[in-house]
Amino acid sequence: MAAEVKPIPNAIPSPHAAEEEDLREHLMFDPRPREEMNRMVMDSMTHTTPRYWIVVGILAVLTAVLLYGVWGYMIFTGIGISGERRPNYWGIFIVSLVFWIGISHAGTFVSAILRVFKAEFRRPFTRAAELMTTFGLAAGALWPLIHLGRVWVFYWMIPYPNARWLWPNFRSPLVWDFMAITTYLLSSTIYLYLPLLPDLAMARDRTKGWRHVVYKFLALGWRGTEAEWFRLRKAINIFAIAIIPVMFSVHTIVSWDFAVAQTGGWNSTIFGPYFIIGAILSGVSAVVTILIILRATLKNMDYFIRLEHIDALGKLLLVFSMAWAYFFFNDYMVSWYGGSEVVRTILTFHASGPSAWIWYVMLLCNVAIPWLTLWSKKLRRTPWLMLIVTLGINVGMYFERYTIIPITLGHQRMPFDWGEYTPRLPEISLALGSLCLFMLLYMLASRFIPMVPVWEVREGQEAHQLRKVGKTVVPSVSELE
Amino acid sequence: MAEETNQGVWGLVIDLNLCTGCNACVTACAMENNIPWVGEEDAGYGRSMSWINMQRYWEGEYPEVSPSYQPVMCQQCGRAPCEPVCPVFATVHSESEQINLQVYNRCIGTRYCANNCPYMARKFNWFDYAYNIPEPMNYYLNPSVTVRRRGVMEKCTFCVQRIHDGQENARAQGRAVIDGEIMTACQQACPADAIIFGDMTDPESQVSQALRSQRKYVLLEELGTQPKVTYLKGEGYYGG
Amino acid sequence: MSDSISRRRFLQLTGLGAAAAVMTGCGPASRYVVRRPYTDMPEYARLGESTYYATTCTECPAGCGMIMRTFEGRAIKAEGNPAHPVNSGKLCSRGLTAVQGLYNPDRIKGPARRAKRGEESLAPLSWDEALGEVKTALSAGVKTAFLLGLAPDHLYDLVSELAETAGTAKPVRYGALGMFEARATLVEAARQLFGEARFPFFDVAGADLVISFGANFLETWLSPVAYTRGYSQFRRSFGADKARGYFISFEARRSLTSGVADEWHPVVPGSEGLLALALANLLAERGWNLPVSSVDPAAAAEAAGISLEALTAVADRAAKAARPLFIPGGQALAHSAGLEAARSILALNLPKGTLGQSGGMSLSPAAADAASMKDVQALVDRMNAGQVETLFVHGVNPLFELPAGLNFAGALGKVKRVISFATYPDETALQADLLLPDHSALESWGYQRTLAGTAASAIAARQPVVVPLYDTRSSVDVLLSAGLLPYADEVEFIQSRLLPVLSAGGGNFDAAEIETFWARFLQYGGWWSAQGAQPAAQAAAEAAQPVQPQSLGEGKFRLVVYPTQLGDGSGANRPWLQETPNTSTTVMWNSWVEINPKTAEELGLHNDDVVLIKSDAGEVEASVYLFPAIRPDTLAIPFGQGHTALGRYAEGRGCNPAEVLAPVLNAAGDLALGDTLVSITPTGRRRPLSRYESKVGVYGEH
Repeated sequence: MAAEVKPIPNAIPSPHAAEEEDLREHLMFDPRPREEMNRMVMDSMTHTTPRYWIVVGILAVLTAVLLYGVWGYMIFTGIGISGERRPNYWGIFIVSLVFWIGISHAGTFVSAILRVFKAEFRRPFTRAAELMTTFGLAAGALWPLIHLGRVWVFYWMIPYPNARWLWPNFRSPLVWDFMAITTYLLSSTIYLYLPLLPDLAMARDRTKGWRHVVYKFLALGWRGTEAEWFRLRKAINIFAIAIIPVMFSVHTIVSWDFAVAQTGGWNSTIFGPYFIIGAILSGVSAVVTILIILRATLKNMDYFIRLEHIDALGKLLLVFSMAWAYFFFNDYMVSWYGGSEVVRTILTFHASGPSAWIWYVMLLCNVAIPWLTLWSKKLRRTPWLMLIVTLGINVGMYFERYTIIPITLGHQRMPFDWGEYTPRLPEISLALGSLCLFMLLYMLASRFIPMVPVWEVREGQEAHQLRKVGKTVVPSVSELE
Repeated sequence: MAEETNQGVWGLVIDLNLCTGCNACVTACAMENNIPWVGEEDAGYGRSMSWINMQRYWEGEYPEVSPSYQPVMCQQCGRAPCEPVCPVFATVHSESEQINLQVYNRCIGTRYCANNCPYMARKFNWFDYAYNIPEPMNYYLNPSVTVRRRGVMEKCTFCVQRIHDGQENARAQGRAVIDGEIMTACQQACPADAIIFGDMTDPESQVSQALRSQRKYVLLEELGTQPKVTYLKGEGYYGG
Repeated sequence: MSDSISRRRFLQLTGLGAAAAVMTGCGPASRYVVRRPYTDMPEYARLGESTYYATTCTECPAGCGMIMRTFEGRAIKAEGNPAHPVNSGKLCSRGLTAVQGLYNPDRIKGPARRAKRGEESLAPLSWDEALGEVKTALSAGVKTAFLLGLAPDHLYDLVSELAETAGTAKPVRYGALGMFEARATLVEAARQLFGEARFPFFDVAGADLVISFGANFLETWLSPVAYTRGYSQFRRSFGADKARGYFISFEARRSLTSGVADEWHPVVPGSEGLLALALANLLAERGWNLPVSSVDPAAAAEAAGISLEALTAVADRAAKAARPLFIPGGQALAHSAGLEAARSILALNLPKGTLGQSGGMSLSPAAADAASMKDVQALVDRMNAGQVETLFVHGVNPLFELPAGLNFAGALGKVKRVISFATYPDETALQADLLLPDHSALESWGYQRTLAGTAASAIAARQPVVVPLYDTRSSVDVLLSAGLLPYADEVEFIQSRLLPVLSAGGGNFDAAEIETFWARFLQYGGWWSAQGAQPAAQAAAEAAQPVQPQSLGEGKFRLVVYPTQLGDGSGANRPWLQETPNTSTTVMWNSWVEINPKTAEELGLHNDDVVLIKSDAGEVEASVYLFPAIRPDTLAIPFGQGHTALGRYAEGRGCNPAEVLAPVLNAAGDLALGDTLVSITPTGRRRPLSRYESKVGVYGEH
């Protein structure tokens, strides 16, 4: 359908050339021939430099050593090589779990929600965001396993008929978690795959050798007929709407790991939305980070990903930073006002304990810096600055989880058993290892999966046109569906 | 089976008026229940496996400063926060003994139960402490108690092996369990007799009598956990 | 449940066959224990069934009765003997970890000869050769000396008899616990007051007021389990019949015992005798029949560092009490004026006329035969003079327990042949030429007279609960092998010693002849009579001479050295004793220096700072623990750590405060360790202590 529509030529010389030139900044008003765009995307996939392979090699080694090597060692010796202790039974492992699950929210949010609400600026980077969801989940799903004392029997959490005659305990949030994460991983993978079909077919038609075989297999025989487009559209629409509640449920359930416990500082009814906002904040930040990096490193990406996108996402970030601050304040205020001794102590510790710097860094990165920078259009359109701001937000969000998990656990109802938690080298190594794994997967995927959904961009460009109203040129969008 | 109908509800009372804080209960518990030691570094890092935390707080300023002791073990809550959060039913409520059981073989080590225990009564096997006990030191390990391997949670069991032993003996002799016949290791060792253990359903048992004391209180009552461990407030040095 | 037998039912039926806990009298069988494979198990060792043996705990000399649960030939769990008059079924941490001594991986596994003292390498030695060496040594007569520990008693009795026969010097019996409790001082004071050299027993259970002068009777003092039982009764109230007892403690630091006191008065160590005299004067004013001394209560209170009002309040309370008890503890007696203090404090027990009654003091029936530090010093002098050719050491670790100022090590170098019976490779064994390891306590026969845990006369029986693990041999048998005494073996010797008791009768069982008596003796875990010995008519109690506590120089601190659950230090190789937190500080596995936080602030010291504690005699290093309940002018170091030998769990942890104690004796010949003055210097290093408590939770400090 989209392929059938011809672009309206708007090459008529106009007295408003300057205005039009301004509009060309927008991807949607700067169309290129379809085949050229296809070529650009194909180029970006097949173009590799030695530098790329060196980085991939280093990441592969780091992942093998920092993540799998250390994990294997930990399985054979015991969780004790981490810094966990009584009372901080959960540490970096669960912090990283929540962090990665949070990161994974961006893909769905950016892709599904923006798609449902027809936010046009989403078009070139839905794929990049969706990939982040899948790989973020892949990195995140490792953590509940790494965390287990006896990982070799992790499957006891799965409900299946077994010799123990025992179901998992459906009252346990960890079982909910397990199911929510599995569901999300499956559905987000499908959601990544559906819009990928036309692009895979495009790649299939433009490659030879092994790539051709693989793309042919993955493209499921996509030919681009009207009927195929119709069904794909339907499927994407259904999935886009269906995955939104899944996304909300996943982080709500992750938050319930804490909120349903009686542990002081966790037992908060606002944790569900608070976690979701936090997840979206960190996820969207991560999308911006990745887009900036892609734009700088991946061939031809500066055409697809433009400052306008970073600008738009920057505005979103500002909104979510404010929303996060609102929820943080709400949670803090109600907990503090509640006057419960244990919660009061915990809040005091967050702000004045030996690890108070973590709490302040969190507020600085999540609130102060975004609020000070993201108001300015100029700053929003400065990629290096946005890179720092978004990386900062993710540091802040990591520290938020760190504050909520080990620091809060360290000061519960029995002061005699309070404890300070210090992460030890193995768990820091595991955390870095999972970051390496994420980057490795992403880098490999960037050379295999079309990073830009060409058809979506095309479709957008078809729908956008400049129209003359009187003497002014106005951009207009037509509804294609 | 008919003989399982009334097995009693086991309860523990600790009289803080009598407790001297001598820690004999801690050692007795360790020796009875195959609790491994963890060594200086890990012990100082909060990884001691002792099932009883002898909490010692200070009250007042020198020279009016005085310590207060409170041995805290698993409180065997009637509504235990640790139970619902375990994904694999490793911590469950037992029908017959009315206590919290930790099923070591089921535990996969999520450590959620320990987070959710307001009494900090749960201890985790960070390493294979018990398996690393050198020969022949492991000869004394109690055959009635599982030796736990790395990665599982453990806690006070009210010496469930002793409860069963006592019940089997009584049943073999065709009689009911006599009050005081079944003793937990801590109770048995306590030189000050500050620990009383017994059936709370028997109104004449020592534990029921102690429970009628006006000095009784349970830890963190406001959480509604319904502990089966009751403390009797100290009369003198606790400021009461 | 009708036609098929469920597993549960099957177990029930099997349970019917096996009766309840079987308490066997006849040990792992015979007097000659033979190691046999499990395939050839004696009938008493039933598979799947526990067997319980009554024996006696010899982790400290108190002589508590112990029931050892054994299972398939292994000792599993130590429990108290409920029938025993000392501990009534209770045990302390030390007794509970006895099996960690039995199964200690670092035990000496057989007789050996050491090529060079101080080196760990050993040459194997056969028992035949070893016995030959012993025979040669014993035939040397007067040139042979024995140094024995406080337990077990039967070995001491045997060696005493042997010494008489062989013409050697009387064995010297000493141990760190006796040193800290100043036992000789206590006994000497009792002798001066009552004419009999016996240990006093204080019936805390029946008292309504207990005033302790530095007596750690809930920790290690004399018979801690017995006293804790008594304390438990003392604290209970039974309606109108008995009110809850009131407990006042005078001690420089708030120890575990003082910790449960209703009133704690941090007094200057060494001022207790003065306080007792002042109290006597105040009580005499209140109508008590006590000799009045020249001591001015106000001045005494000032010297002790407490207020006169506090002292007067104590006197008022004592005057009102029906059965007050005044207990002199090691911290009050281990001073140069300790004997005067002991007499002054003991004398306070006289006027109420409760001697020998419930709630009063009585004298232990058995004669106290512990030596004092003076006797040890005499031995050291003989060794230095080259008068000792062979030294036998058993049950004591002088190189660790004795003050370094005594220079036992130097004296040991002048002894030609050192024969150690040690079960564990302790510091002294490392300097011994011959190692003839004794069985561990749980593999041995023996008996222990209970001295101070009960007013009644009691002999606790010790029997093997498992067959010996290694190629060890009972020291009594080793000594008997020389053929100087007419006993065939250890059991015959013990039985001969039981004959007087058998004929006396009136105990917990009766027997017509020794075989029956022996069987019952082992089955009950000992013999005890219901009757306690009464003190003889009291001698005229004249007031002791008041002695002022030692004055404190600039930058000097008083030092309290106190034993913990590690006892005389031999408990340091029990990993669970190491990991059982010290109650006051919750520190595990190491030594610390207790210092008042105010003093620490003045000195610029923080928790975990390593400091150098220096006295005239020596110096030690330990980490600082800011202890809120200690006098600002006093430091305290626990005893028991700082081993340079004794196996993997003991070695290289903490410090041994015996190294700062000077060999200064008091009038009774006990070490005046309480008079040690020390200085404290920061080393600039930090070594965090392993605490069970949370520093931030308890002290608000990170």
